[in-house]
Amino acid sequence: MNAPAQITMPRLSDSMEEGTLLRWIKRDGDAVTVGEELAEIESDKATVIYEAQAAGVLSTAIEEGATVAVGTVIGWLGNALLARQLHSVPGRAAGRRKASPVARRIAATHGIDLELIDGTGPDGRVVRADVELRLSAPEPAPVLGVRGEVTVHPLTRLQTLVAERMSRSRDEVPDFELRVRVDAEPLSSVREQLKAGHAVDVPSVNDFVVKAAARALREQPSANATYRGDAWERYARVNVGVAVAVEGGLIVPTVFDADGKSLGEISRETRELAARAREGRITPQDLDGATFTVSNLGMFGIDGFSAVISPGQAAILAVGAAAVVPVVRDGAVVPGRQFELALSCDHRVIYGADAARLLSRIRDLLEHPMTLLVA
Amino acid sequence: MAEVATQTPRYIEAINAALSSEMAADDRVVLLGVDVAAGGGVYGVTRGLYDEFGPRRVIDTPIAEAGVLGAAVGAAMAGLRPVAEIMYMDFLTVCLDPIVNQAAKLRYMTGGGVSVPIVFRTQTGAGRSAGAQHSQSLEGILAHVPGLHVYCPSDARDAHDLLIEAIRLDTPVCFIENRRLYGKRSDEWDRTPLPAGQARVVRSGEDVTVVTWGRMVLETLQALDQVGDEVSAELIDLRTLVPLDVETLIASVQRTGRCLIVHEAVTRYGPGAELLARIAEAALFDLDGPIRRFGALPTPIPYSPELEAAAMPGVAGIAQAVREVAKG
Amino acid sequence: MAQRSWSAAGAAAADDEVLVARFEVMARIRAFEVRVGRCFRDGHIHGFVHTSIGQEAVAAGACAALGPEDLITTTHRGHGHCLAKGADPEAMMAELFGRETGTCHGRGGSMHLAQADLGILGANGIVGAGIPIAVGAGLATMAAGEGAIAVAFFGEGAVHCGAFHEGLVLAVAWQAPVVFVCENNGYAEFTASAGRWGGPDPVQRAASYGLEAWPVDGSDVVAAEHAMRSAADQARAGGGPAFLEMRTHRLGGHYEGDAQPYRDEEELERWRAEHDPLAQLLALLDGRGCGERARSAVEAADAEMDAAVEKALAAPFPDPGGVLEFIGG
Repeated sequence: MNAPAQITMPRLSDSMEEGTLLRWIKRDGDAVTVGEELAEIESDKATVIYEAQAAGVLSTAIEEGATVAVGTVIGWLGNALLARQLHSVPGRAAGRRKASPVARRIAATHGIDLELIDGTGPDGRVVRADVELRLSAPEPAPVLGVRGEVTVHPLTRLQTLVAERMSRSRDEVPDFELRVRVDAEPLSSVREQLKAGHAVDVPSVNDFVVKAAARALREQPSANATYRGDAWERYARVNVGVAVAVEGGLIVPTVFDADGKSLGEISRETRELAARAREGRITPQDLDGATFTVSNLGMFGIDGFSAVISPGQAAILAVGAAAVVPVVRDGAVVPGRQFELALSCDHRVIYGADAARLLSRIRDLLEHPMTLLVA
Repeated sequence: MAEVATQTPRYIEAINAALSSEMAADDRVVLLGVDVAAGGGVYGVTRGLYDEFGPRRVIDTPIAEAGVLGAAVGAAMAGLRPVAEIMYMDFLTVCLDPIVNQAAKLRYMTGGGVSVPIVFRTQTGAGRSAGAQHSQSLEGILAHVPGLHVYCPSDARDAHDLLIEAIRLDTPVCFIENRRLYGKRSDEWDRTPLPAGQARVVRSGEDVTVVTWGRMVLETLQALDQVGDEVSAELIDLRTLVPLDVETLIASVQRTGRCLIVHEAVTRYGPGAELLARIAEAALFDLDGPIRRFGALPTPIPYSPELEAAAMPGVAGIAQAVREVAKG
Repeated sequence: MAQRSWSAAGAAAADDEVLVARFEVMARIRAFEVRVGRCFRDGHIHGFVHTSIGQEAVAAGACAALGPEDLITTTHRGHGHCLAKGADPEAMMAELFGRETGTCHGRGGSMHLAQADLGILGANGIVGAGIPIAVGAGLATMAAGEGAIAVAFFGEGAVHCGAFHEGLVLAVAWQAPVVFVCENNGYAEFTASAGRWGGPDPVQRAASYGLEAWPVDGSDVVAAEHAMRSAADQARAGGGPAFLEMRTHRLGGHYEGDAQPYRDEEELERWRAEHDPLAQLLALLDGRGCGERARSAVEAADAEMDAAVEKALAAPFPDPGGVLEFIGG
């Protein structure tokens, strides 16, 4: 094992172009075996624990916090001698800020980025006094103004991406929205039956929505697509993304082939995905590949809303809370239960009539839930 | 030797006193060397000892250093405690075998079967146009040989105490004097005697650690006076190269973050390189800048005074080196 | 000073007991050295080893005139002197084998054998180095005043080096009680000595320094003893140093493994046939009716040295963790 194995910034999702090395789990000089946790990497979708693909002694090439393009060498796994040599090669540090060993050590101990410190040593070298000055400098006092104290919270990578995506969607996508109200009683009734029958997994309303949407998309493949500029790209699989709120963000794990899965399977899967998402154990694969998204704010008592279409998809379905409302039945006004569905569509892919057809079909399926129990 | 009431002993007198007291205490201690007896030594170091102890204890020898040192080794193995003189440190080359191959190794080679309680006294002291073959500082060569101790006292107090320790030790000791210190009194004769292997912090400081030994301690003190408040320098006198008090040195560098090593020996492959390596090994991540050495240039020491001064470390050069290391 | 020399007349004049005793020492040296050669070839002895086969009479004879208080220095070819001075062959063999139980705990090897309590200040790997050391040892014994002397054994190759010159100068200057024994075995490393470098022979050289110097037939153990006793007595009495050139024959190579391409095959054969001191003494003892005792001595020596080899083979190696032990200070 003479030639060292390169570790490059992995492509963790098909849309990932660059990643941030949040934290080295193994340190320079550590022996690493295949499959051992190597580093924590933040991609465009999530933070992931990256495992070693080869064995050897680790030599790191980038520092924690560095953001580099996918494919960039971030380290090597080689033999111990190589590791020592790499460390003594000044060329490897080319581009690194010149700093004295003690300055470097103090900065590292306090988590200060040397790049942010002015060096007063020869050739601009950062020396101890420079780091100590930085350490002793007080934090800039918060500006107190009309809006009270302003505290600054730098965005995580994920938050930055969400912001970028949403902006891009609003900028680029000519979206329009259709709304229907769905009679919740048939769904309610089926669910009661399942509960009375002590079914192990009683699908939630949202699970039924996912299944209904998937079925409808299977029947209307032109909506299971995206706009590419000069063409539509239609997807063979119907993968429904289910939006989940997590601490500090929003992620959308995917239920693959939702059209072919039973409600029970969808129910189990969405539950598991949501749990993983909340525990930070979601993988890039889980988050990738949706062709359509369902977003539900009903649990917060929201009547209805319009959601933002994810890039790469043609539409998104927003689900509101079920409420008791007056309905007309057999000519009389009676209490009924309804919830609102709002379908936002990319007009470049789905035109009005098609959108209407899609949404109506989803409503019909939901108002006749037994059809969803049939494969 | 009677204590002088008002003034403390000069370096040469301190050595003489140490020899005298040890010879009086132990009649196995004998001196050998060229002109050490009636002549009192070419610089007067052994003056009066022949009169006090006689020809069997203070032994004149012909100019036959290899033979004399070899005989001293044999005498040491057979029960005496010889102090053999090599008149100029440059002559080490003539008599390295009895030092390096015999004295340094006999105890080890015999598995502890014999011991060689011998002191090799010698002196150097460039800067007086003595020429290339009478001016060298070769303590680095001796320090390199396992089995030898190397003492380099910088003042009268240390010369006295270290010589006594050397004579009492059963290990061969190379005791290296400097003739340009012979006439000097200690700044601090009354300080507590220190053992070999213990460095002395001559002056405390915060910005730079300067470490040296022998006559360069005095030279460096003068240089630091010139630098004044510009740099707060800590001056360490190593006193003995073997055994070496590396801990005091490293503790100091860990505080100051900067180090200058000064010595009279040639810088290239000199004893300073060993110190630099030891500091780098133990305290790399405490360094604020590169460690520097300031010794003699890699040339035979010239005869003509200005040339000689250019080749040697001197007050002005040391001062400049201190300033540069403080910023570098 | 009178040029004295001893010849076979010396042995002829000695009594049987003395001759048998000397033969025993020589047989032990021979048995030891033969096994050393064998063990070196077998890989148990490392580095360099120099045997003294053919020179046994010098060691046995000279050391017979010395007491345990007398100090000797010897050379790389010093096994015989050490054995004759009383060193334990088991400890010596173990030292050659590099074992912990060796005289020097495995630190010295063949060229640095020493045993201070027997007055063996050591073999030395530097040619001539033992000469000034012995002079210094004589200085110490003089100071002690108990009549002990120092003896330096060295080969004729050492008479050219500075240490020889300086050692003799100092010995004479101090009138030290030292006997210099120059073992002239005909070869200095790979060079035949006779007349090789010009200049006077060893006795003449030594005499020129101002000390008594005599040639001795080194193949005659009693001659060697008488010469040493005479010189030693003189030194003990304060008569100063003396020089003995003991002429003998090196029947082996310079070191084990030396194929001796520089030697005339025929000369070597002739020397082995005509100048083996054991064979000569055995013939003499046969003539005196002591042949059987001599042969038993040989058997006993063989058994003793076989046992030394066995012991050495089984002895432990020094612990590498103790590599820094004995440096001192």
